[in-house]
Amino acid sequence: MTPSRVNVWLSGLVAAVILAPVAVLFMLSLSADVDLAGQIAAITVNSLALALLTVLGSVAIGVPLALVTSYADLPGRRFWVATLSAPLAVPSYLGAFAFFAAFGPGGELSVLSGLPLPPVKGLAGATLVMTLYTFPFVLLSTRAALAGLDVSVLEAARTLGMPLPMALWKVVLPRVRNGIAAGALLVALYTLSDFGTPALLQLDTFTRVIFVEYNAFGLDRAALLSLQLLGFVALILLLESRLRASRERPGRTMTLKLPGAIKALCLVAASVIVLAALVLPVAIFTLWLVRDGAVGFDPGYLLNSVYVSLLAAVATVLVALPVAFAASAGRLGRLFERITYLGFGIPGIVLGTALVYLGLQLSFLYQTVTLLVVAYVIRFLPLAVGAVRATLARRNNDLTGAARSLGASSFEVFRRISLPLSLPGLVAGAALVFLEAMRELPATLMLRPTGFETIGTYLWRTYEAGYFGRGAIPGLLLMLVSAVAVMMMVLGEGRLSRRHSR
Amino acid sequence: MDRRTLLKSGLALGLLGPARVLAASQEAQALSVDALPELKGSLTLYLGRGEGGLYETLIEAIRKRNPQLDLNVRRGPSASLANTLVAEHQAGVQRADAFWSIDASSLGLVVDQGMARAVPEALRAPVREPFSADAWVPISGRIRTLPFNPQRVTAERLPDDIMAFADSDLKLGWAPAYGAFQSFLTAMRLLEGEQRTLEWLRGVKQRATSYAGEFGVVMAVERGEIDAGFANHYYTLRLKQGKPSASVALGFTDGDAGSLVNASGVALLSDNPAAAGLVRYLQTQQAQRFLAEEAFELPMVKGVAMPAGLPPMSDINPPQVELSQLADLRPTLALMREAGVL
Repeated sequence: MTPSRVNVWLSGLVAAVILAPVAVLFMLSLSADVDLAGQIAAITVNSLALALLTVLGSVAIGVPLALVTSYADLPGRRFWVATLSAPLAVPSYLGAFAFFAAFGPGGELSVLSGLPLPPVKGLAGATLVMTLYTFPFVLLSTRAALAGLDVSVLEAARTLGMPLPMALWKVVLPRVRNGIAAGALLVALYTLSDFGTPALLQLDTFTRVIFVEYNAFGLDRAALLSLQLLGFVALILLLESRLRASRERPGRTMTLKLPGAIKALCLVAASVIVLAALVLPVAIFTLWLVRDGAVGFDPGYLLNSVYVSLLAAVATVLVALPVAFAASAGRLGRLFERITYLGFGIPGIVLGTALVYLGLQLSFLYQTVTLLVVAYVIRFLPLAVGAVRATLARRNNDLTGAARSLGASSFEVFRRISLPLSLPGLVAGAALVFLEAMRELPATLMLRPTGFETIGTYLWRTYEAGYFGRGAIPGLLLMLVSAVAVMMMVLGEGRLSRRHSR
Repeated sequence: MDRRTLLKSGLALGLLGPARVLAASQEAQALSVDALPELKGSLTLYLGRGEGGLYETLIEAIRKRNPQLDLNVRRGPSASLANTLVAEHQAGVQRADAFWSIDASSLGLVVDQGMARAVPEALRAPVREPFSADAWVPISGRIRTLPFNPQRVTAERLPDDIMAFADSDLKLGWAPAYGAFQSFLTAMRLLEGEQRTLEWLRGVKQRATSYAGEFGVVMAVERGEIDAGFANHYYTLRLKQGKPSASVALGFTDGDAGSLVNASGVALLSDNPAAAGLVRYLQTQQAQRFLAEEAFELPMVKGVAMPAGLPPMSDINPPQVELSQLADLRPTLALMREAGVL
């Protein structure tokens, strides 16, 4: 069997594993009575409105920032790329919590400033928070696409008299449309499956209602709602697959000289975003830390978190490799890759429940770290697959074709060409998975070994107990560790573009 | 809940420990920890939420006192643990020896599956009247109350019939998303029927402000934003502990859902003797006093004093509701959605 056949088979196996929890959901939903009809319309509108508005907001922020940080001669460009990517390091539920605690009557910021600040909640509030914490997906994917462009075409357009904004709009944007769409897809999936933000900001989305039903012992209805949510996820995946990649030979990059006023405007905009997305939550947690002091946190929780998240990152990337290679190889592989994206759309609480049922069938796995890591792999595989594919798509076929024609075996091609070329993507993918696994909560609560505490589960305990001050240390630690992962990702991106420009 | 209260209770644990508290008082007929044998062996407890983190404090105290007991605690939201237990039961997997839940409806779900072991007489006997340990052992209780601001409304103007609040001209506050509120509403649905409950929801919605939790309701009463609200009793007592001059008082209704008494408790899930042994520790004078004094919960063992600030239990007339029936939340949620309050 050729390696690409092996990849397709492996990829099919992965797809089957991901479909297993979906099958459990079908089984669980069979007993649901369908008296939800009226409510589902409202939930659907809320969920889709939140996803759509968040995508629009992320594109509106992410694409201009990607253009500016890629092309303009901003002072401290790398610093801005790093800090603007850093909101990825803040779990959106911590962000939502900080906004919730800061604004509104009696909020920390309202009290400090003495101004009657409006509360952040509902559709507008959730859109604001989700946009602030998901736009880096668009920023990074657009930057990656821009890095693969040859700007000679842009220069040609300008030489022919097209003004810069028009040239960006007509020449550059169409060619990075796919990069933008890839980021927007992640934003949409992330928003649809995020539970913490709509729950805290009181917006009835699928995830929030699933949680309410689950807590009211309506497991069947929670499963039914999850299947409907998965339907929307599948729809988004279908839309995204319609977008065709435009391939081109990478060429020179460029630096634009921007007028001072526009440069200042860009810097102000970037600063406002950083203030809202990063400084505010850090300030709120620091305030609580100062007020309540550091007590009760066991460093072992951090070790546990890092341990399972590292396992998850490595396992996910290993699983992502055949899926990504198979997806580049043919239609069947492409289908399997699409299926792996479903996992990202299953809310953690539902995935956790389904895996409890599956784990109980294989009781040696039940309540073990292994099953927990499997859950992370299922949930976050698309992040790794996306990152690996992004590097594969750009520069593979010519080189591998050349190597094969020179007589290299396909394993040698993989070892000497495909793998090294996709290494930056692997690192970036692993960092993303690490990040998400660190902050995952609902599935972790359900699947972890008894007595196994992570930063996430400890945060949950402090929140439950009303010891908000004790949440400060784990909250800040979570952001710190995640920030390191984001740095790795950005550095991976930097190395990629440097090698590329050589 | 008040952070300072919590910190103080943690401190009390470190300084005193159960043995010293014992020496402090002998007035009750509840067992002292010193009368209990040391627990040994391995024990897995599923712990569904710990009110204010205080259950954790008790767990730690029990661990310290029984160094030979290998106590594994699995924490999670009550409903989630109950769902997990049911799934385990269906798959024939036995992991938990006992399930301690703050929420009677989660216990009801587990009991309905036939998973609970019979409660031994030694654990039944100490339970305070009118409670009983039929399928699970009640550990601590809470009562539904109407915190009101005496500067804005007199006790006489407060109806003693919960249904009358829908037609009152009071400014009210509630936390509809909070589990205890939903249990209270379930009791109303069982006692008064769906139609009257729906009308009540619609009526109160006209004059009620929503808060995220019931501590928020009590704080709003105290600040004078509203005249009265619906909340568990201990929020008011905890607020008054931190701020004795707080202008909030407790109102009770008479024999209806408005004064429902709900309980947390433990269901025994295996024949592991340490499970029953653990419950005996929770029924000791020290543990019960700790829950009453630090968390202001109602002790569920005879002879342990009620928390300060509550009227004598003989003056309170709770409704006749089978607590396990409160597990049937779904029709309640449907009503709340129909009235547009969830």
